[in-house]
Amino acid sequence: MAEDIQSKLDKYRTAPFDARFPNQNQTRNCWQNYLDYHRCQKALETKGVDVAPCDYYKRVYKSLCPLAWIEKWDGQRDDGTFPGKI
Amino acid sequence: MLATVAKQLRSHPALIPLFLFIGGGATMSVMYLARLALKNPECSWDRKNNPEPWNNIEPNHQYKLFKVNMDYSKLKKDRPDF
Repeated sequence: MAEDIQSKLDKYRTAPFDARFPNQNQTRNCWQNYLDYHRCQKALETKGVDVAPCDYYKRVYKSLCPLAWIEKWDGQRDDGTFPGKI
Repeated sequence: MLATVAKQLRSHPALIPLFLFIGGGATMSVMYLARLALKNPECSWDRKNNPEPWNNIEPNHQYKLFKVNMDYSKLKKDRPDF
């Protein structure tokens, strides 16, 4: 399973098709992956497991999201004003 | 008010198809809106127990009505669990 993730990360080119978001508006796709990355980190850290699988979500949101949004959300997380549930 | 309408319908029975078609059209619109509200995975009703319903659909669930050049049966889950 970890080797699968590692090989997926090595072969990564761009965000794959996500059946949850098939239309042109990929805003929610970006938002969901950003949330999933941080939820994954939080969950695996509390479990004490290696956080490497979470990097998949990080690659996807980095491919999808505009930099301005990422910076804004990172700022909000640091301030504690992030609107999403992590 | 319904009594008035019924009385008028009895004297002009040709109006009955009008009521049928208008009623049918209105029913169909309302039913479509209800279906969208209840069965659409983008619509979140219960924020406590089911906050993100789009996460509960299968990886090969076809969301669009018609698909072009997309083989949904070949899709599988590729996101890591946590």
